Amino acid sequence: MKNEDGTAWAVIIILILIFMLPICWILLAMTTEPYHVVSGEPLRDAAQAAGITVVSTADSTWPVAGAMGGKTYTLSDENGNIYTIRTQKFDSAESRDAGVIAYNAQSVGRGRPVGKLIVVGNYLVYVQPFTSGILARIAPELQQYKAG
Amino acid sequence: MSDDATAPKKSGLTPPKVLGIFALAMINVAAVLSIRNFPSMAIYGWSCIGWYLIGTVLFLIPLSLAGAELATMLTDKGGGVYAWCNEAFGTKGGFVAIFCEWSNNLVWFPTVLSFIAATLAFALSPALGSNSIYLFTVMMIAFWGTTAIAYFGENVSAKFQNYGVILGSIIPSVLIIGLGIWWIASGAAIVLPPFSLGEIVPTIDLSTLPFFATIILLFAGMEMAGFHALETRNPESDFPKAMALSAVIIFICTVLATLAIAFVIPADELNLAAGVMQAIEYFFTALNIPQAIAPMAVLITIGGVVSLAAWLIGPAKGLGVVAQQGNLPPLFNRTNKYGSPVAVLLIQALIGSFISLLYVFLPSVNQAYWILSAMTVELLCIVYLLVFASLIKLRYSKPDAIRPFRIPGGIPGVWFIGGMGAFAVIFAFIVGLMPTGDFSSNEAVSYVIGVLLGTFVLAVPPLIFLKMKKPGWIETGTKEE
Repeated sequence: MKNEDGTAWAVIIILILIFMLPICWILLAMTTEPYHVVSGEPLRDAAQAAGITVVSTADSTWPVAGAMGGKTYTLSDENGNIYTIRTQKFDSAESRDAGVIAYNAQSVGRGRPVGKLIVVGNYLVYVQPFTSGILARIAPELQQYKAG
Repeated sequence: MSDDATAPKKSGLTPPKVLGIFALAMINVAAVLSIRNFPSMAIYGWSCIGWYLIGTVLFLIPLSLAGAELATMLTDKGGGVYAWCNEAFGTKGGFVAIFCEWSNNLVWFPTVLSFIAATLAFALSPALGSNSIYLFTVMMIAFWGTTAIAYFGENVSAKFQNYGVILGSIIPSVLIIGLGIWWIASGAAIVLPPFSLGEIVPTIDLSTLPFFATIILLFAGMEMAGFHALETRNPESDFPKAMALSAVIIFICTVLATLAIAFVIPADELNLAAGVMQAIEYFFTALNIPQAIAPMAVLITIGGVVSLAAWLIGPAKGLGVVAQQGNLPPLFNRTNKYGSPVAVLLIQALIGSFISLLYVFLPSVNQAYWILSAMTVELLCIVYLLVFASLIKLRYSKPDAIRPFRIPGGIPGVWFIGGMGAFAVIFAFIVGLMPTGDFSSNEAVSYVIGVLLGTFVLAVPPLIFLKMKKPGWIETGTKEE
């Protein structure tokens, strides 16, 4: 009986570890995005640095708590492809992180959300769809704003 | 051994036969139909039809047909996916399949729980959506509440699902569709370009390939009814009808409701980062019925809870059957007087709660969430690959087994259907490994390693547990009074 109990506990411990280990590893391996105030328009600067034209902008405020306003950018690359990217700044790390949770909750079916969210300081930058080719061009330019 | 392997042995209780066609269909609808999908897909305009057709042809139809044949073939065996894969590939195959589905759930739970909490916040006070204490509290109420429903057995679960899916999924869908029709009939402008067949063809290139994984698994969950075979009154005749009914409801509601939103809301107004309720708010404001937003938020919350319940109960039942067969220690074979696998439910709830705690209270790690969502995709692909492989294998290993529903076309037919489904999920598995463009080269390597390693770690424990298996495990199941 003692042996059986020991085996049952071993199975429970294995079960707990197999979920905790990969999840904790992933959470630790991917660096936390620090909250800091980014001045100016990081998306505009990143687009211009990547050789992408900002065709137009429109002010927008997301209907989420802590949103302080941002812009919807219409961008065009050298091939005439049009992209829409949205940015929004938040008043605190908590509200920004709540925005990230809200976005991740919008998965399609059992898959992923349609767009991709990039965290840049106090900004959330939303690119849709996540397959957009502009991500690869804009994201490296945004890296410089991430660390603060 | 596998002939008899998944027949109920000794929990001491014959499951009550409470499910008919409608209840079975509603289990699938609860698991699959999701309001969250509509605004997300509406940004694709007319081409959402093309994307939906791809998912329907490559996955929904094959899985529905496979589920119908396997479920009716094995009506005396509980465990759903476990029973099907066990019959084809033995205990290892069955155990890996059900464990992948169960562990996929545990990683996915925080996503749907946070959706429930955030949507309810929209009805109460949107500011609550940024309050971690509120989020976690509501998540735990929803999670443990649905666990409690599962505790009280099939009768209670079925009633909850039946009413909940009508309230939380079908009524909102029909409402959105009805309002879309009203919008058109009133002469209001449709924001989509004029329809043509070319408009429904989606853009398929290298940049849209990763989206395939999302589309393929858009209809994941059609196998949920299979977990309830032992509680079905006339499984041989009811399962195929239930699969067909649920597939039709899901497809029609999904396509029409998505188009309704696409007709009213311009794509550049669909800010999905702000949540699906923002799209719903825009929709009802444009239709001059803003007072409907809060009730709609409540209905969508109910839909989220019902979806959670469908996924929470099914794989847990499957794992309970694994324990009944002596493949897990007797502790896991504890059932209550309602026949519910209480130990599995409790362990599932504890692990899921801890993962949710990390999800809500750890500082935002956006890329980590992306990896976790990729892992859920990969794990589900393994499950479905095994299901489609089982469908084909059983035509060879048990050609004379009674199949009240048989996929037409003989062996070529089953190869076509099973092969198409298998190809789709293999493709989804591969493209699910592709990092998006915002990953730096170092992060891309971490991403691929993280997804593969995490998927491996969450898929292989059955092989470890089977090595630890003891003969005494099969003799000492317990039932709570």
